[in-house]
Amino acid sequence: MARALQDGPPTEPAPEGKEWKKTSKDVDGHPVDHWILVDKDDGGPTWPARERLSLLNKDIERVDGAEKVTGAAVYSHDVRLEGMLYAVVLPAAIPQGTYSLDLDAARAVDGVVVAQDVAGGEVRYLGQAVAAVAGITPDHARDGLRALGVEFEAGEWALTREQAMAEGAPAIGRRGNRRSGRARGDSDATRAALESAAAAVEAEYTLPVQHHVCLETHGVVVDYRGGGEATVYASTQGTFTIGSEAAGTLGLRDSDVTAVVEHMGGGFGSKFGLDIPGDIACRLALEAERPVHLLLDRKGESSFVGNRSGGWQRVKAGCDETGKLVALDAEIETYGGLGRGSNPGLPYIYDAQEYSRVQASVMTNTDSSRAMRAPGHPQASFAMESILDELAYEAGLDPLELRKTNLSDPVYHRQLDRVAAEIGWSEHPNRTAPGTGDGWTATGIGFGVATWGGGGRPVCEVDVKISSDGSVTVEVGTQDLGTGVRTYVAAIVAEELGLQVEQVTPRIGSSRYGAANASGGSVTTACLAPSVKAAAWAVRRSFLEKVAGARGVDSGQLKCADGAVHDLSSAAGKLSWSAACALLPSEGVAERGKWNHKLAGNGVHGAQGAKVEVDLKTGQVQVLEMVAVQDCGLPLNHLALRSQLNGGMIQALGYALLEERVLDPELGLNLNPNMEDYKIPGSMQMPLMKAIVDEEDDRQVVIGMSEAAVIPGASAIANAVHNACGARVRELPLTPDKVLAALGRV
Amino acid sequence: MRYRGMRSDPSPERGEAVPDDKLEVSRRGFLQGAGGAAAGALLIQPDAAAAPKARKSGEQSVTLMVNGESRDVSLEARTTLLDALRIRLEDPLTGTKLVCDRGTCGACTVLLDGDPVCSCLVLAVDAVGHEVTTVEGLAPEGEMNAVQRAMCKHDGMMCGFCTPGITVTLTAFMEAQPAATREEVQAALSGNYCRCGTYPHVFDAALEAGRELQEGK
Ligand code: FES
Ligand code: FES
Repeated sequence: MARALQDGPPTEPAPEGKEWKKTSKDVDGHPVDHWILVDKDDGGPTWPARERLSLLNKDIERVDGAEKVTGAAVYSHDVRLEGMLYAVVLPAAIPQGTYSLDLDAARAVDGVVVAQDVAGGEVRYLGQAVAAVAGITPDHARDGLRALGVEFEAGEWALTREQAMAEGAPAIGRRGNRRSGRARGDSDATRAALESAAAAVEAEYTLPVQHHVCLETHGVVVDYRGGGEATVYASTQGTFTIGSEAAGTLGLRDSDVTAVVEHMGGGFGSKFGLDIPGDIACRLALEAERPVHLLLDRKGESSFVGNRSGGWQRVKAGCDETGKLVALDAEIETYGGLGRGSNPGLPYIYDAQEYSRVQASVMTNTDSSRAMRAPGHPQASFAMESILDELAYEAGLDPLELRKTNLSDPVYHRQLDRVAAEIGWSEHPNRTAPGTGDGWTATGIGFGVATWGGGGRPVCEVDVKISSDGSVTVEVGTQDLGTGVRTYVAAIVAEELGLQVEQVTPRIGSSRYGAANASGGSVTTACLAPSVKAAAWAVRRSFLEKVAGARGVDSGQLKCADGAVHDLSSAAGKLSWSAACALLPSEGVAERGKWNHKLAGNGVHGAQGAKVEVDLKTGQVQVLEMVAVQDCGLPLNHLALRSQLNGGMIQALGYALLEERVLDPELGLNLNPNMEDYKIPGSMQMPLMKAIVDEEDDRQVVIGMSEAAVIPGASAIANAVHNACGARVRELPLTPDKVLAALGRV
Repeated sequence: MRYRGMRSDPSPERGEAVPDDKLEVSRRGFLQGAGGAAAGALLIQPDAAAAPKARKSGEQSVTLMVNGESRDVSLEARTTLLDALRIRLEDPLTGTKLVCDRGTCGACTVLLDGDPVCSCLVLAVDAVGHEVTTVEGLAPEGEMNAVQRAMCKHDGMMCGFCTPGITVTLTAFMEAQPAATREEVQAALSGNYCRCGTYPHVFDAALEAGRELQEGK
């Protein structure tokens, strides 16, 4: 599987005492299998058998839930410091050209403290940050922004693919406006196989630009007041991606800058590094020598902090009588504005006997795309899952069966069967041809599958300490994006020590703690959990040795369980947790854990199904039900996993039905830069949702799964719409006008 | 000003360039219509004439009743209740979140005399004389209410940024209608957006809180 996504394993043999281990790394937002050398089994920690776990692999309540529901959780937006200024940013009103500023006009305004040019006079894309003003309140800063004089000199721009490719179009990229990637596969063999296929289809699929719409906008609070130190409170996916960039801007040493990420309000791939708002905030703070709060407003959020790239794909596919894909040819363009956009390529995770594809990115004077939850995968999935359905109906086959025919990994078969059973496929009438409905509404079902890497690598350094008063802390600089990291960090330690989760205090979100990976590409669980486990394992051994020494027994006969230390050699030898800890020296006992490859795996599978109802008179689509079956190796916390699965499906629902950035193609004005015009899914759109963790996956390793959850949902919904009523919409989102057009009704 | 460029819509052919002179006219026309741009440069200075250069500070002191306490706060007539809580109060209450600042998302929901409102749409001066309850006020003694407990139990949150607004909205709704159905809960939450996608778990939490509230009666 995943042929399109990986490079081959290393050919050289592993040296003495080492072995090759497959992990994954993020290349351009794609998970790419990656081989590293690791020590051969050293008898270190392993995950206990599932039946022996008392906390993990169950539902664990979020340890910071109470903070979140009482408003006590502090996000970067909420940081309040003495003398702090609030900054606002002016986005460019043209897509390309130059500008000049009258900053003094802003500085003269009551309550304004600093005003700066932040782009050096040149505009490269629409909405780019050009000026910033900081004042004593956001209202005062906005007064300054309104007073600030700005004159734009319009240059030449291209905002759409057509404009960028037209003759005489302005040069946007250094290597031309259209950059082609390497052609893959065998185009001659593919063409020949297509010609002799029993059934063949050809179609074009178009994808919108989607926004991340993090509810907490991008930005930071910089605590700098002159002097030699600074603290940056950042809304980021990477605590350790902030410090050195901030130090560079502030003229400090890396070690004098602390990054803090106590809580953060969503990133979905768009929040790494100091970033544009963070850099601006540092510059303003440097000038003012006062703390600066710069968290973007909604317009800024939709102007210059990225998006999921749009795209276009033309696909030809052919199968034999059994539904076996004999050939697939794809032409792919990605539209990432000033970025390149992403698409892992077709046939995505399906097998095709012959395939060929060419891929290119077309640049425009619009905000660069960024990673967004499973970068490129929903795009590839939409084309691939759609063409498979088109092929199945063309050949008169069941699209579910046709999928299984072309997926060699048996895990997908069992997952698809489970999804089909949950959603009622075998009782559904339209299994080999779309339905027509009853004249008013029509109901349909569609499917899709997903893969992701989610593997780890050695980054995290975790410190666990048991104090003589019985308190236990676990510290690591990682960040919790809402996935429940803080909770499993505590739970892994509690499990190891036989305690309850509440008995362990997790401290995360500060660059003062041990190193941690940035949370992108669902790598956090597989990077972090093994290091936490290793630290907990080591501290348990040291702890028991100390207790054994104080008791004059062998540490091998002591065991941590049920909130106590048991002496297995004597019935009376049970020590309460606090009594055992009281035997520790005053400094307690502490250990640092590093990543251990035996605890982390790589590669997840997921299958999803959607049932929809199409209103044949209005073209309105209501999703009735969504089902996801997802594996992840050893599940750490089922409750949080179901939350992530729901979240993936819901974001996919938005991608399928609602979300699209709309730009005016002449001046490039963003026509829906806010949340009333750019719709994300709300409570009224919620279908019945079944989030199922695939417990048949018995791999005793942890793997990240969150990206996979967002991949197949939109494809499943689009296929379900077609299955309901024959309306094949090849362009997301499936708005009512497109559904009616596909029905031939407009 | 040079407005050379291509346009795609509504030209029928892919990549067909529109002659410069045509474009010049349409763009200048648009700009003049939009704001009377001077020929030669596009001057974007929306409030130039009304720029508040010599504007006197409109600061005034008012007293807000927040979570049962009366709080003196210095603010301006334009200060929203949301900004008053988050920024202007001496000990700011930052549990209430700012997301859209225009009444779309519900993250800023507080109770005004017990009714949920978007505090980004209420001027702080208009809240004078009314009882404001923020998310911090739902658990005054650290004792969480039924909705808050159920939200924790069912994991009705991920990043948690929408959570205060959802919790406030749900508290008001479930206390008024503890027997509400799932559909009624969905409707009650239609003004609260969550990007992480917590809705199904939030619905579960609401129904459980409803059961608890009914039993408690
Ligand atoms: S911030 Fe008030 S409704 Fe969004
Ligand atoms: S939990 Fe993140 S926005 Fe709702």
